[in-house]
Amino acid sequence: MLPQMGAAAESLSKASSLVMRIGTDAHLYDDPDDVSIKPLLESRYDSEKVDALKRLLALIAQGADVSHFFPQVVKNVASHSLEVKKLVYLYLLHYAEKRQNEALLSINCFQKDLSDTNPLVRAWALRAMTGIRLHVVSPLILAAITKCARDPSPYVRKCAAYALPKLYNLHQEEISSLEQLVDVLLRDNSPAVVGSASVAFNAICPNNYPLISKHFKRLCEALPDVEEWSQIILIEILLRYTVARHGLVRESVLFSDVTHDSTFSSVMSRCYVEGHELWSGDGRGFEEVEMGTCKNEDVDLLLKCTAPLLWSQNSAVVLAAAGVHWIVGPAEEVKKIVKPILFLLRSSSVAKYVVLCNILAFAKAAPLLFDSFYEEFFISSSDSYQIKTIKLEILSTIATESSVPFIFGEFQDYIRDPDRRFVADTVAVIGFIAKQLAVLAGTCLEGLLKLVLSEPLVSGSYQIEEEDGVLVQAIISIKSILKQDPSSHEKVIVRLVRNLDRIKNSASRALIIWIFGEYSSMGDVIPKIAPTVLKYLAWSFHSDEVEAKLQILNTCAKVTAKTKGNNEDSTLFKKILNYILQLATFDQNYDVRDRARFIRNLMGNKTKNNLDIYRDLIESMFCTKPASSPYPSANIRVYLPGSLSQVVLHAAPGYTPLPKPGSAVIENPTGLNNSSDVDESEGSSPQYSTEDNRSGYDTGTEETSENGDYEETPLVNISEANVDQGQTSQNDMSNFVSTDLSEMMSRTALESWLDETPSFSNGSFGQSHSQNVSTSNARVSFNDRNFKLKPRKSHVLLEPANSDGLRISYSFSTEVSSVSPLLVCVDLLFENFAKETLRNINIRFEEASGNSISGPTDPVLEDSASMVSPDKIPTFPMEEIPLLSPNETVKRILQVRFQHHLLPLKLHILWNGKMHLGKLWPDIAYFLRPLSLDMNSFVEKEKQLPGMFECSRRCIFSDHLQELEQNEKISVNADKSLVVAHCFAVKILSSSNFYLVSMDMPVSLKPDDMSGLCLRFAGEVVNSSKPCLITVIAHGNLTEPLDVTVKLNSEDTVFGLNLLNRLVAIVQ
Amino acid sequence: MVEKQTTGHHVDRSICAWFWHQYNHHRNNDQMSVVTSPTHYLFPLIRHGIIFLACTQLELPPLLPIEFLSRFADILSDYLCAGSGAGATLNEDIVKDNFVIVYEVLDEMMDNGFPLTTEPNLLKDIVLPPNLVTKVLHAVTGNSSPSVGPTLPHAAASTVPWRSTHPKTTTNEVYVNLVEQLDASVNRDGNLRRCQVYGEIQVNSSLPGFPDLTLSFTNPSLLNDVRFHPCVRFRPWESSQVLSFVPPDGHFKLMTYRVKELKKIPIYVKPQLTSDSGNCRISALVGVRNDPGKTIDSIIVEFQLPPCITSADLTSNHGTVDILADKTCRWSIGQIPKDKLPSLSGNLVLEPGLDRLHVAPTFQVRFKIMGIAMSGLQIDKLDVKNMPANPYKGFRAQTQAGDYEFRS
Repeated sequence: MLPQMGAAAESLSKASSLVMRIGTDAHLYDDPDDVSIKPLLESRYDSEKVDALKRLLALIAQGADVSHFFPQVVKNVASHSLEVKKLVYLYLLHYAEKRQNEALLSINCFQKDLSDTNPLVRAWALRAMTGIRLHVVSPLILAAITKCARDPSPYVRKCAAYALPKLYNLHQEEISSLEQLVDVLLRDNSPAVVGSASVAFNAICPNNYPLISKHFKRLCEALPDVEEWSQIILIEILLRYTVARHGLVRESVLFSDVTHDSTFSSVMSRCYVEGHELWSGDGRGFEEVEMGTCKNEDVDLLLKCTAPLLWSQNSAVVLAAAGVHWIVGPAEEVKKIVKPILFLLRSSSVAKYVVLCNILAFAKAAPLLFDSFYEEFFISSSDSYQIKTIKLEILSTIATESSVPFIFGEFQDYIRDPDRRFVADTVAVIGFIAKQLAVLAGTCLEGLLKLVLSEPLVSGSYQIEEEDGVLVQAIISIKSILKQDPSSHEKVIVRLVRNLDRIKNSASRALIIWIFGEYSSMGDVIPKIAPTVLKYLAWSFHSDEVEAKLQILNTCAKVTAKTKGNNEDSTLFKKILNYILQLATFDQNYDVRDRARFIRNLMGNKTKNNLDIYRDLIESMFCTKPASSPYPSANIRVYLPGSLSQVVLHAAPGYTPLPKPGSAVIENPTGLNNSSDVDESEGSSPQYSTEDNRSGYDTGTEETSENGDYEETPLVNISEANVDQGQTSQNDMSNFVSTDLSEMMSRTALESWLDETPSFSNGSFGQSHSQNVSTSNARVSFNDRNFKLKPRKSHVLLEPANSDGLRISYSFSTEVSSVSPLLVCVDLLFENFAKETLRNINIRFEEASGNSISGPTDPVLEDSASMVSPDKIPTFPMEEIPLLSPNETVKRILQVRFQHHLLPLKLHILWNGKMHLGKLWPDIAYFLRPLSLDMNSFVEKEKQLPGMFECSRRCIFSDHLQELEQNEKISVNADKSLVVAHCFAVKILSSSNFYLVSMDMPVSLKPDDMSGLCLRFAGEVVNSSKPCLITVIAHGNLTEPLDVTVKLNSEDTVFGLNLLNRLVAIVQ
Repeated sequence: MVEKQTTGHHVDRSICAWFWHQYNHHRNNDQMSVVTSPTHYLFPLIRHGIIFLACTQLELPPLLPIEFLSRFADILSDYLCAGSGAGATLNEDIVKDNFVIVYEVLDEMMDNGFPLTTEPNLLKDIVLPPNLVTKVLHAVTGNSSPSVGPTLPHAAASTVPWRSTHPKTTTNEVYVNLVEQLDASVNRDGNLRRCQVYGEIQVNSSLPGFPDLTLSFTNPSLLNDVRFHPCVRFRPWESSQVLSFVPPDGHFKLMTYRVKELKKIPIYVKPQLTSDSGNCRISALVGVRNDPGKTIDSIIVEFQLPPCITSADLTSNHGTVDILADKTCRWSIGQIPKDKLPSLSGNLVLEPGLDRLHVAPTFQVRFKIMGIAMSGLQIDKLDVKNMPANPYKGFRAQTQAGDYEFRS
């Protein structure tokens, strides 16, 4: 404070700011660590704790890592001061994921707080507890949420609903019980809770349409009262449900005549439903897809309830509601959405761009909806460039003959805008509109021409890039208008050409020269001026730039080719052409020289008989009109209105198109009448016990929630015992999370868990085993790892038939290269099938640069290779085989580095002085090093790679059937499930380079049930050294082919996807 | 200087650095509303020099984060600037000074990446805003007063979440304020291209109990577009164009509306630019047209000098002319004097080689008129039901310039 006081004395303004800062936390922010924080945290006074916590927050805000205070902070979670609690929660949420073990200490306190009388405390405790993301406590979290979902305070229930997605992210196995909770919350009386329940629904089970169907009517009616943020989500859910249930509506704007451009709207509706990737772009009509019904009452209800939301003050709600009307609303009522959407433009300036993107999509499908509102899209000087361009595009879409005079009047002003990029865009739009509305072509051309010839653009002395942009764009626009009807605009061409000399910009010159060449034989005037123009071009050729030179060459060739007969002109043209060709042959630029040579050969080779052929050739070469690129992007990209993907114009991760119309068949929407029996449906109702294997747990929490004390929970029900079969030792148990969990649960007291005394689980084991008959929580792990790996698959590099009897085969090796971790080892097997001895066999790599074949012994070339790419390690050479006698086989190890995990490596195989080309195809499964992990670290790593780093595929595994058959003959006693698991592991390990982390499967009553068999593999990607985790989970009976899900977590997503495909291929 | 809070999946702080780089790179006033970075989608909001940045990897309605951020910014400035006098805006220092409150408010407003409590009244009960008393107390005693409310406000549980059931105020009054922004654009020939009013009805209510208010207009047909605060009931509006609502306590925006196709503008600017041989004469005349009957205050005319101008020499017969660093020319007029028309004149020197000016700046005008709503919208009456005593009712109106521009 003291130096600040000094500063205050110096200046009055500083003093006043200092006064304002008195009493705030400014000093804490400025010097957060000027005192020792640790003793403060351990202080007896709340105020000192608050002070310390604030300092910690300040450090967090400044980007410092203060996680080492974690133990001290966690202790304060038990504080009674609300402020301390809040601050501790803030800190906890920030670091819990890093310090999982210490964070566990806080769970106890949270549980106590959950029974506090203050709803705020309960809600905070729940939020913090669910927010710390600890995998091991997910059952406790579930219990806590279940309890809070029945809390008397709606605020707590709301928080419970928001907590569901968090739990789901953490632990995706309990979906059925989560869905059940969503169901309970959707029934809530308070609209706020219903709203948050719908958010949870969207995160957990967005496709569970039967659940919505139960509540549809209530949800619709609650919609206006729900909180605005939840409204956005709820509207989307209801829309998806309606489409899935009833299909798209035939009267909607997507199918009606309001649309100006019916192909666009049909594409649009298809994109909505199928997404982009699936839409192949063929001409198939949308009618083939089940498109559904006319209006029905569900749709009506939805429309009725979303209509008032168009007046919402939240722009996201308005847009979502507009989206509903757009997709399912009848066409005549879609007009309703226009004004509210347009109003969004003015009322929230931040959202302007997003809204405009959506309007553009709407306008493209139904320009008539917006055509009378063109004034809304006039540009204001405060708009950013981004907004200006999109407004222009909308204007170009909705312009009609009646509005175009006003729009053009507006454009007149834009042309003089200081932002020349924007002017260029305007000019482009003028061209586009003129093309659409042929009536305007004349005036537009006139205006554009005036612009082109206006002084600053062509003056040449004042050349900046943007001005050139305008000029070029203007000429392009002229060109595109001319193309519509060239003959009637002959004068324009003449004027352009006459001004050619004034225009200095080479791109513009090239364009004008092209226009002249293209239309040189048209009308009356142009052919007359052609000789003069050509003479001029010949004169200016040497001073032109490359672009224009090439165009001059083309044009001369064109004009010459087009003039038929042997009159005066044609000889003149030929003379000029020859002159220009002559010049061009000695041009400095080799493109120009090439072009000249090409044309010379083409034109020069005129013998009588093939003259016509040449003429045709030339004509078709030069005179076919190049495909025009229309101004708006030709590839239509449409995503659902209001989605992020529509704004960024690519499918954002997580984007899902509308469900298939009519895909949800709900047998009996009777749910409406049982909404009263909330109490009955939970507890031990039989209908859930089949799908929810923890129903016993549910009843357990019901009891405890009455006591309000979790310490007494009869935990046996949820204990996960570890049933070891035969071979494994007890010590291995600690490898498994399941063991940890079981211990923690059985002892409950967290402190003792942290002490790590693994003996107790044995006590609970017998107990749980007897009770676990109905559950599948106990897991068997297989620790027998004596696999007999199958021989690795070998590929043929060289067939003996075309190589004097030399056969080379290769297989990928699991060895790690001794030279560099980036290299992959390949075992090569050389066999001589011929009767003669082969000499000097060697393999060389084709260099990446492609121009030299480096001998492996040549040090110079090796050097050069390393110079080309210093970061790449050169492929390690192979030792030469001097002699290979007939029928001899020699093995060599080749260490190679593949440039890409899918592309082959080209090799030169040398023997007896001959050379042969070969390709070494990579096997992505060997681009890994085994990564030795234990179970815990595997799970931890897996958790660090969620979301976009995770991908999974399903396939069928049937190899074990054969194996079982064989085994039956040998020994009856062998455990069949073990055999299957083995078979599985062998399959993967023998064709890839993974480390097997664990194999386990749930204990089940049915002997042949293999569901839940889980194998985990770990590896490290060779090129990036990033971990790559594989989890394989099987389902089904062991006597049948198993349904297998392969899940892969890797940071290297592209590699991961390819590897996943490869693994699936291996398994199958 | 960055504040942030991660929820759900961890987002690395480095994304801010990336954005900052991009932002500085494209400084030329192109405000992007959705930025695609290699790993994330970013939603920046820039308010008073503070950047609020939301970031996501997954699909979501883009307006949700945008709207949330602007709500957050509003609430934050409401929280932090209320204590430091009127007219104060958010700035780096204020955020720094109250960083704990920023964290707490953000934590209450956002849960797992989804907005939780955004109702300002509710928030103020959970996280207490700083005020002068606590500040002084803190300075004197050295003890910081709690910034967290003792208990959950009842409103969180009620069906009208925007109204706390125990308002602290004992006054019994309600103020209705029409704040309008006039958008107009006049093209080069002096023709009015577009003229519309964007208005807000701001209500400041301090009524005890559970009042039920009804506001009606004499000419509701004027209203072209409307949007309401969530407290407004939709049905009465649909049937008879009446606003019926239970107001939140304190200051809030009851309704926003737009009136289009107005014909009269209160102020005009006549710019004239003539250029030849590397020089450009500029002159601009400002005058009142269609006198609104009230004085027009704080008139400012602004225009951007085109980039091709190297130097400018501008003088005016009334008010002051400043040329700012970004080549913006600001002419502060204040009120128009009765005896003369304010005019600006001067000479612009073009870049060498350029003979004539081919681009034209746009003149933007800012002004303020108190006591009048330019749209002509009139409030008929305000009925207050469910109240023990008749409250004091106050009405005000004001118009200011929105996008009010003249092209030259």
